[in-house]
Amino acid sequence: MPEGASRDSAMAEISEAPTSSDPPNTKSEEEHFDPKTMRKTKPGLKRLFLTLTVFISFLIALPFLLKSIEIYRAPLPFEDIDLLSTEMEKNHLLFPCQFQVVFVNFDDITAVNELGLLIDSHMQKLTSENSPPCGACGNNVTVAVTIDSNSNCIHSESGNGDSKWQCGMLNGFDKVNDHDEDFDEYLESVLDSKNRKVYTVVVMNRKQEDVRIVVGKYRHAWIVGNDSVEKAVEKMAEIFIKVFVNGGKEEGSIRGEFMPVGADGKVVLSFSLLNSDPHDWVYDWDFKELDEILLAPVVDALRPVADISVESQVLYHTPKSSYSYWDDTQGSYIFSTKDLPFFVNSNEWHLDTSTAAGGRSKVLHFVLYVPSAKECPLKLQLPNGEISMTNGFISPMWGGIIVWNPPACVENFQMQHLSRHKISSEDLKMISEVFMGQLRQLFGLKSESLYVGGFATSVLLTSDKGFAEWELDVLSRHHTCFNLLQCGTTLGSLSRLVQSLPRMIIMDEIGKQVKYSLEAAKLSLGNVSLGYSDASAVSSRKARALAEDAFYHPSMMSVSYYSFEHCFAVYSPFFLPVSLHVLLAVMREWKRYRVENRKYLAWKVKVKVE
Amino acid sequence: MVRLRSILLFLLLFKSFGSIIAEEEDQIEQFSEALLLRPLPDRKVLAHFHFESKVPPTRTHGSHHHLFPKSIYQLVHKFRVREMELSFTQGRWNYARWGGHDPISSRNAKPPGVELWATFDVPQHQVDASWRNLTHALSGLFCASINFLESSIAYSSPQWSFKSFATNIRYGTLPREAVCTENLTPWLKLLPCRDKAGLSALMDRPSIYRGFYHSQRLHLVSNEFDLAAASSGMVLEQTLTVVLQPVTLGSGMTSSVAIQQPSWSLSSLFGRKVSGRCVLSNASNVYVQLEPDLVSELKTTSETQQQSDVENLISQAWSDMSFEMSESAVRVIQEANDFQKESSLLYEFSLENFSDSRPFDLEFRWKRPVTWSSQLAPLQAHRFLMGSGNERGAIAISLKSVGRSEYAKSSVNEEGRCSLRVDLFQVVPWYVKVYYHTLKVFLDERLHSLADVVERTNVSPSEDKVSPGLMEIALRLPCDVHSVILTLEFDKGFLHIDEYPPDANQGFDIPSALIRFPEIKTKMHLFEDKSACKSPILSKLQEESPVLWYTEVLLVPLTTPDFSMPYNVITITCTVFALYFGSLLNALRRRVEEEERLLKSKAAKPSGPIGVLLSKLSAKLRGKPLEPPPPSSSSKVSYKLILRVILVAGIAAAWQYFYG
Repeated sequence: MPEGASRDSAMAEISEAPTSSDPPNTKSEEEHFDPKTMRKTKPGLKRLFLTLTVFISFLIALPFLLKSIEIYRAPLPFEDIDLLSTEMEKNHLLFPCQFQVVFVNFDDITAVNELGLLIDSHMQKLTSENSPPCGACGNNVTVAVTIDSNSNCIHSESGNGDSKWQCGMLNGFDKVNDHDEDFDEYLESVLDSKNRKVYTVVVMNRKQEDVRIVVGKYRHAWIVGNDSVEKAVEKMAEIFIKVFVNGGKEEGSIRGEFMPVGADGKVVLSFSLLNSDPHDWVYDWDFKELDEILLAPVVDALRPVADISVESQVLYHTPKSSYSYWDDTQGSYIFSTKDLPFFVNSNEWHLDTSTAAGGRSKVLHFVLYVPSAKECPLKLQLPNGEISMTNGFISPMWGGIIVWNPPACVENFQMQHLSRHKISSEDLKMISEVFMGQLRQLFGLKSESLYVGGFATSVLLTSDKGFAEWELDVLSRHHTCFNLLQCGTTLGSLSRLVQSLPRMIIMDEIGKQVKYSLEAAKLSLGNVSLGYSDASAVSSRKARALAEDAFYHPSMMSVSYYSFEHCFAVYSPFFLPVSLHVLLAVMREWKRYRVENRKYLAWKVKVKVE
Repeated sequence: MVRLRSILLFLLLFKSFGSIIAEEEDQIEQFSEALLLRPLPDRKVLAHFHFESKVPPTRTHGSHHHLFPKSIYQLVHKFRVREMELSFTQGRWNYARWGGHDPISSRNAKPPGVELWATFDVPQHQVDASWRNLTHALSGLFCASINFLESSIAYSSPQWSFKSFATNIRYGTLPREAVCTENLTPWLKLLPCRDKAGLSALMDRPSIYRGFYHSQRLHLVSNEFDLAAASSGMVLEQTLTVVLQPVTLGSGMTSSVAIQQPSWSLSSLFGRKVSGRCVLSNASNVYVQLEPDLVSELKTTSETQQQSDVENLISQAWSDMSFEMSESAVRVIQEANDFQKESSLLYEFSLENFSDSRPFDLEFRWKRPVTWSSQLAPLQAHRFLMGSGNERGAIAISLKSVGRSEYAKSSVNEEGRCSLRVDLFQVVPWYVKVYYHTLKVFLDERLHSLADVVERTNVSPSEDKVSPGLMEIALRLPCDVHSVILTLEFDKGFLHIDEYPPDANQGFDIPSALIRFPEIKTKMHLFEDKSACKSPILSKLQEESPVLWYTEVLLVPLTTPDFSMPYNVITITCTVFALYFGSLLNALRRRVEEEERLLKSKAAKPSGPIGVLLSKLSAKLRGKPLEPPPPSSSSKVSYKLILRVILVAGIAAAWQYFYG
């Protein structure tokens, strides 16, 4: 620009202007006056003011522009989300529990409160060995002790009034060891644990050689035998902590945090009968029987934890994808545990997710595999070289598989071509029991009816519903805990995602869902600390469902990401050149004003000096 | 003759047992497979696979099945589907050569792409929701973009022209859907044997997709939700119809190769053999069908050889015939047709006795050249576009008589005038704005008034971005008409920039129109007694169905914008504004007097060397002596300016070199 280049000369010209217009005053003045460094008039502010006005108005308009191109983002409570997720990760959810101990026929002890403290300290020791898993009982545990002997009936101070044991209830009940089931029912009628949710251990001092420990189907256990009080206390503490609180799980088995329950609280049990080669034989099952007689009570029992639906199918031409080899000593084909990852043939097994299951419900597959004639009988070898009793295995969060060898192959019986058989109802009953065990394992419970603890081995009575009351309690606690954990992690990742994409549109609905989810989670946490386990389970499920709804909202999935590059590309053709103009104008005017002002000041100084 | 009698005896015996057996069989699930092969007049072969699964109603049978696919059962129950048909088609059915008046063509000739229709057993206001959910479920099930049928611009609800007596029906097509193996595999998954055994093992993907026509269909009927009717459960019919060009088997290499029909076998058609049936199917048969015209042609050729009856064909005495088959048929079924003198023949082969060691490979060998033609529809329909340019056009549907009058016999009305009813069903997307008042009918190339011809109409005009235009017209045509042409004018609409598909320049498809002849029914008269027919494919062939004709898909080029246009507009507008703004700002802060003085002072000073050089150069060019330098104001300025221009050009060149 010529203007800029010839500024100095221009300045000189300007200072000439007044001299040329005004008549020259004196000769000497003109000699002393150097138009390059001085001027007589004050430099005008008009143009500087104008350019500054434009510049400032641009600056003022900038926030409005930014506001107008802003995309809609519903405000999310990031702090609350972080708080929840860190809280869920740091300290596990702990529930208040009530325990009750009854000593029957212990005549020589009376110090109930001390006993209570002793049991409490033992329990503390057991829980401190490893950090309590999520959903365990917390520190606010109450242990009520009752001594029920012929002579006296002493209650400890802790424990509320209505859950107290009525003394003398067990007098005359002799056949304790003969019929566990009957005694279990009798105790239940006495304790009414179904409504009161108190875990009870009854210790009966009796003259017999061995000490028996039985855990009932409800919320109580009993120890029968000639045992010292100290030993009984140790055993009791173990039953409380390891069985009633932790569900009798082995350490290091499936982690309790994972419950195979969908976000909407639904589980679909999909049973498939796979005939690996129908040319050899075709087996069919009477699934209706299995469903109505064996599965219906289980589904009913698990209703507080999950809404379960059952479906079935029969598939054909479904070979397994791992190999098996013939073993002469076993007289059968063997597949070992290291083949298990390859057993499921996902190419040929069209197990399919269920159409009926819609939404985000969890599908658990239970597969009954009928091997073909050329690999029959097929048996699973355990790592210790033994043959598996159940001939089945589970895959956590996926389901379970049972290999069922048809009777025909054992008998080496030449079948008539193309015959259709039915699995006999005895076999079906056995299969269903294995399936039940697998279901229990998938839910993180033991499938055996014995609990081997550090101090004693206890017998676990099995319920015909598949799950005992105390096991359902454990599941329900785990479920609540798992839901809240999941809710915390989902919301946490949602907030991270939202914060990492600053130009992503967030609908109001997502904001609402997040808000409600947080509210439900808080409600659930509050209910947990108050001990309302059912209410907390319901609200935890709601919290998780809402969190997942927010995370998987269709508007989050779609490409609604309005990028900054796009915005820049649209606005830069106008604002880039204009802002250049404005900025340069302001800078030049300001510079010029300073130069001219200096000249004016210099002239003034000179005038004063003269 | 002996054989024929034995068949009759068998039929009689079967009839008495039939009713007892039928009672029992209704209560169990059934699956059957069949393959029908038919030589076509244009040296091709039609192969029609037919699979049928039946399941008794849930009320008596429960919801656990051992053959019926679980996914379909759940689909029906979730969306309360009463009837549904889904077809994936590639290629067009050649009605003129492959026939348009037989049960197979009227059921299995489908428009290209995907066609889906369904009727629901839900209240009126829930039908659309059910349809939307169904399209999504099917889309997942069949790995196809059926979910595009979800939006209301893609489907319509025909009243009577598509299917008589259907309420709550929804119909949609996707003409541009490419059909390939990923659609076939889930379809096969619904069969109990998939393609591992039985007839479906023939479906070698390269062979069946190499064909001229490929249509995979799924038809589902359920009356589970009818409370009044005696429910018969669900029937799932899956068919695959392919038209293949056989590779000529090396025989009969005479000079008449050109007219000799190619001989074929299963292995030459599909590259595979059938190694036994699917063990789960109740019936697994292969049929070879000879069309009526071919049978009569064969008869006449036999007559010239002094052989005189159709019995030769029935008794399979190949030595005197124009063709032979490598296997002998279990049963030969002759169509008992009262109306026509010709009747088709069906050879039935059972897969019962074939196995891996002895695979079934039927060979069909022509010995003499034979020519015949297929049964044609009464009118041949075509549809085309008229007009040019991107503004308007016209759709024309032409119906041409094939010159046969026997169809007319059945449709003589009371006044003794012979007439033919034709139903026309056409769905047009909203961006093709059809003016329905411009409908013109030309009979034998003469304009006719609509009232004479049109018996019934139902038009629901399209609504922009909401619903497509639907036209249903019932025409009553005199029998002796030779050609009928219907024309409709339309304007081409403009789409929003977001609504264009990725390949907008290809044009937009108008789905096939459907021409239906409701009074002309087609069926095969195989057995008098329905219960005698055990095979589901034969009972399907015996069912009456109206003759249908799907027209071509039309490709309408719409104006496609330059998709960078919005940005270009933004850029140029902004540039203009920026220029205006910049010059305004400069004008405001300009000091005019100062600049004038500057010019004066510049004039006084000597100009730079380049200015001198330039003035010398210009003087030379003008042929004038060098003048003293003019009062140039810009000598120094222009020197700097040139420097700058060179600098900018250099930067630009460097930029171009390094980044361009």
